[in-house]
Amino acid sequence: MRFLRRYLLPRLIQYILVIFLGITAVFFIPRFTPSDPVQRTIAQLQSFGSYLDPASIDAMVADLREMYGLEGSMLQQYGAFWGRVFTGDFGVSFFQFPTPVMELIRTSLPWTAGLLLWSTVLSWVIGTVTGGLAGYYSRRRWSKTLDTVAMVIRPLPYYIFALTLLILFAYVVRLFPIAGGAAIGRRAALNWKFIWDVLRHAFLPALSMVLLGTAATFQTMKLIVQNVNAEDFVQYAKLGGVKERRIVSRYVIRNAMLPQITNLALALGQILSGALITEIVFSYPGLGTLLYNAVVTGDYNLIMGITAISIVAITTAILVVDLVYPLFDPRVRLM
Amino acid sequence: MKVLRDLLKDYRFAVSFTILLLLLIFALLSAFSPYDPTFWWHAVRDLRPSWTHFLGTNSKGQDIFWEATFAVRNSLIISVIAGTVSRVIAVLVGMIAGHRGGRTDRVLMFVTDSFLVMPLFLIIVLLAMLVRERMNLVNLGLLLAFFGWAWDARVIRSQILSLREREFTRTAALSGTKTLRLVMKEYMPFATPLVFSTLINNMAWAIGMEITLAILGLSNMDVPTLGTTLQWAISYQALLLGLWWWLLTPIVLAVLLFVALYWLSVSISEYLDPRTRTQRVGGR
Amino acid sequence: MWRQFRWLTLAIAGAMFLSVVGVGQLADLPREETLILSMLTGRVGTPSNFNEWVGWESRDRGMQNLANEPLWSVDFATGEIINGLAAGDPVYSSNFYHVEIPLREGVAWSDGTPFTADDVVFTVELLRDTPGFNNHAFFAENVVLVYKMGDYRVGFDLKQANSRFHQTFLDRWGCTWIMPKHIFEGVADPITFEFNPFVGCGPYKLHSYDPAGYWTLWEKRADWAKSPTGILYGEPGPTYIVFQAFANEGAKIVAQLTHQLDAVDLSAEGLKAALAQGKTIRAYQPSFPWVVNNDPAITGFIFNTAKAPYDNSDVRWALTLAIDIVEYAGQAVDGMGTLSPVHIPSLGSYPENFIKPMEGWLKQCTLDLGNGETFKPYDPDAPAGVIAYAQGRGYVVSDDPAAQESAFGLGWFKYAPEAAAKLLKKNGFSQNADGKWLLPDGSPWRIEVVSRADTSHLEFKNASAAVQQWKQFGIDAVHVPTDAAATITQNGDFDVAGNWPAQEPWGAGVDLYRVFDVWNSAYVRPIGQLTNGNHSRWSSPEMDAVLARLRATDPADTAAMIAIGIEGLKIAFTEMPGTPTFGYIGFVTWDEYYWTNWPGSENPYAQPYSHWGPFKYMTPFLEPTGN
Repeated sequence: MRFLRRYLLPRLIQYILVIFLGITAVFFIPRFTPSDPVQRTIAQLQSFGSYLDPASIDAMVADLREMYGLEGSMLQQYGAFWGRVFTGDFGVSFFQFPTPVMELIRTSLPWTAGLLLWSTVLSWVIGTVTGGLAGYYSRRRWSKTLDTVAMVIRPLPYYIFALTLLILFAYVVRLFPIAGGAAIGRRAALNWKFIWDVLRHAFLPALSMVLLGTAATFQTMKLIVQNVNAEDFVQYAKLGGVKERRIVSRYVIRNAMLPQITNLALALGQILSGALITEIVFSYPGLGTLLYNAVVTGDYNLIMGITAISIVAITTAILVVDLVYPLFDPRVRLM
Repeated sequence: MKVLRDLLKDYRFAVSFTILLLLLIFALLSAFSPYDPTFWWHAVRDLRPSWTHFLGTNSKGQDIFWEATFAVRNSLIISVIAGTVSRVIAVLVGMIAGHRGGRTDRVLMFVTDSFLVMPLFLIIVLLAMLVRERMNLVNLGLLLAFFGWAWDARVIRSQILSLREREFTRTAALSGTKTLRLVMKEYMPFATPLVFSTLINNMAWAIGMEITLAILGLSNMDVPTLGTTLQWAISYQALLLGLWWWLLTPIVLAVLLFVALYWLSVSISEYLDPRTRTQRVGGR
Repeated sequence: MWRQFRWLTLAIAGAMFLSVVGVGQLADLPREETLILSMLTGRVGTPSNFNEWVGWESRDRGMQNLANEPLWSVDFATGEIINGLAAGDPVYSSNFYHVEIPLREGVAWSDGTPFTADDVVFTVELLRDTPGFNNHAFFAENVVLVYKMGDYRVGFDLKQANSRFHQTFLDRWGCTWIMPKHIFEGVADPITFEFNPFVGCGPYKLHSYDPAGYWTLWEKRADWAKSPTGILYGEPGPTYIVFQAFANEGAKIVAQLTHQLDAVDLSAEGLKAALAQGKTIRAYQPSFPWVVNNDPAITGFIFNTAKAPYDNSDVRWALTLAIDIVEYAGQAVDGMGTLSPVHIPSLGSYPENFIKPMEGWLKQCTLDLGNGETFKPYDPDAPAGVIAYAQGRGYVVSDDPAAQESAFGLGWFKYAPEAAAKLLKKNGFSQNADGKWLLPDGSPWRIEVVSRADTSHLEFKNASAAVQQWKQFGIDAVHVPTDAAATITQNGDFDVAGNWPAQEPWGAGVDLYRVFDVWNSAYVRPIGQLTNGNHSRWSSPEMDAVLARLRATDPADTAAMIAIGIEGLKIAFTEMPGTPTFGYIGFVTWDEYYWTNWPGSENPYAQPYSHWGPFKYMTPFLEPTGN
């Protein structure tokens, strides 16, 4: 009961407040950018060649303002937005009018989730395992070599890294396809052919993300493990003759995992931003480019939709981690 | 000086220190550049490295060597500003929250978590669009600082939390030491390695973010930084046209910078942490 | 540990082997019968929505360029107007209040239903009566009545005399298309109706599309002979056509190098890379400058004439004369553009009809520099300078004067910084000790040139080249690339912008009304208010008079149209509300590994772009290579 009152309840209130604040911020900031979505749509129509004579354009502006839900003051729009959002209706996308935002998200989300979820988790697992071992055996030569390799890979600009992989494995050696999530003309179905196609198309993007992600996770885990290794209780255990296996798993890894799990939660939360360049290089149909285009074209509804979902996802992930933390770390339990 | 000599015994520090020194000199060379970096076409385009142009020229008709001096200088300025400002915020928030506890802690952590949770990338993009050409180096540094402190504040706070429960803290508090003195004298020795390593990590992160923003076309392309040089090379298809000298310069410089910062942070934090200091160089 | 590694290695090797065995980009389609093209406008945002009468809907994914036939199309390469669903020219009454359009017989929609005048009548009535359609306002303002006169003739009664009413059905890069009545008439809300699958009168029908918007696949109709394309030109070559979007240019180039992409639009550097590395790849022109230079648009930059000091035509001329066009063209496009001194591009019939007749006047045109000095800005030798630059860069340029004229233009303005300086000083400008220019009030002169942020776009290239030239001249010029460029110019919040200096002409015929209408005083709005026509906010009573005369003249009276057109061009030239530099150039590359007989400059039987409407008329001429 005490736990509930002192820890859970405040935490839940914080959870809701953070989501509320985050969504509010993302609601208002785009509306302060100089671009007006109605004007942008018209500019787009004109630049893509529709010859709209200026008289008709004035009439269109009024029409579009109404259809986009941009009537009324900002506060009125804000109120209307919260009214709709609980039914899962984020309105229609401005730039891809009149497709509803949820539909756009629904089409792109499986690709993002599929590719990026797996790449992030995979690189986290590989990085943590190898980093943990390298951190424990940090005096060995192989550990130092791996560390240097990871250190050189990490700062490589992802775009160049990805583009080089693309050129190497899709052009120089023609093993993988160049673009897309699946082959052209392939209808989505749950058969082996489709799954294999998706895997082929996902291999290079996944490889590029896993390589870079593993390097970062490896180094972080190695440092954490090295620090834990230097702690008194570990030294004591070694001197006390505890079996090495036990030290590694029970003493070192268990303590090192805690910050690493938080890292995983945050990494999953940052999926969208990391994904963006992957999707650009490999023309992968995910949420990253959708979001970026939305920002650039001032598509408020789409920005709100994707961001709201991402904020809720990250906050929930962090909430879960925070609630689960006391189970692992007794020190927090007592607070 | 003895400190420096001790530090230099670690090969990682020696190498990274040298690299950083060289890069710093390289950046300072920009003051002597015969070319204004915002002018194009002062050299013949697409020349390979030669004695007249040490790193060759790019497709905009600029000498890559002198362009790179500005690039390194500007990237360093951005990352130093980002790193130091965010350190100040992170240390303040982390220390106060960790030490005071209670409601202060909750409020501060609420603010921190909000920053962690915000799709910071999205907001940086939005703000970058809002600011357009007023996005100079200092502004970019401040923008990155504004979003780079949250994680480290949490880290520092948890370090302080564990320190707070320790014997020496209770001793100091019980013997009447004032809070500020306690914080500075008792916590800082443990926190400093943390602060320092996070500073350097943050600097490296700032360089990476700057490069990403430039590649997405959100930076002021007229100002030469590692990111914008790379972006120009990409948009002029340097990779497929075989202009390797233009492409490799920002990449190699970024890698060198990062390696130097990383090794520096690792070796200095090992030195400062009394437990690992003796282990570094074989227990001498 | 090694045991685990062995499994990993086997797994990767297995993946690689199987991916070699797997098909390339296409699933189960014969590559040698398929044409793969890149989407110009990028990823399709509304993949399941084919209702092109509302919003944008990515028409160039096959709708406007394969499956939908307009009444007429403009082909700017041949200068022809092609009859699509119409059987001939429109017939106007003498007071232009009434027009009749004959329609083609023997055409069927891709689902088999015959096309008749009912479809046209239905379309116009629906657009006129339903707000929300792109063209609703136009028809509401113009059409009183539309009716069929037999199955293949349609008549319109107009609200006002409009000799150009029919141009709404003329496809240049968009027009009013005809809806199939039998599909749209039962629909409750035609604005949100998705029109999926798309049904059109063109020779191809929709096969499938990517729900994520990266590709759209079209299949040749079995009854292709019932489309205007088939009737006019015969059976289209490719059985399947794919429009594919790539998110970055490197991928496009690699795709074409591996023969997985037949036609693509690149940037200047992308073109160079593709030509250098691909053995079967060719550009529009077989040799330098390679580019598509008959795209009917003139590029350059515009001044904000509502803002001082750009409201003074002397200042605008000074800034124009401060530009060394040889350097400028080299900086912007490596010399590959066709120069034009007037506000229409130097291509097609325009040099013959307009620029050459104007040359006498151009050479005589004089600027008053003050102090009794005068200056003649026109320079017929400017293209020679660009040619010399190109040869200096190592490119091979043809010696034939006709080829040089068509590739590099007839002339531009002299590079005259001293004359520019005198023009400025006459108007109160001065230079400080460092040679930097000061405004008449003594403050340093700073010019911000706005353009869109895409580095390969010609707006960007023009803006950054102009900035470099003005910097050298001594003005603190700065280039501001931003994605909000469209809104900023509409708002009037700029000094100079990289927008096209004049509205694009048709590319065929001699009617320049479109070009001048952008300077119609009716569209001028003060700074701070959005204007959708006149970004430079310039107008003059003389230009309005020209527009009025054009409105009252029958577009078929060629001689009169040319004469009035030349008058309009002279006015624009003297006032220089925007500076024309070179014509729009497209960097198109074709891979001839699977398909050949592309309409290159040596064989321009059609316009070269795959995203423009007349592309469907190219398809019967493409020949498979047999690979």
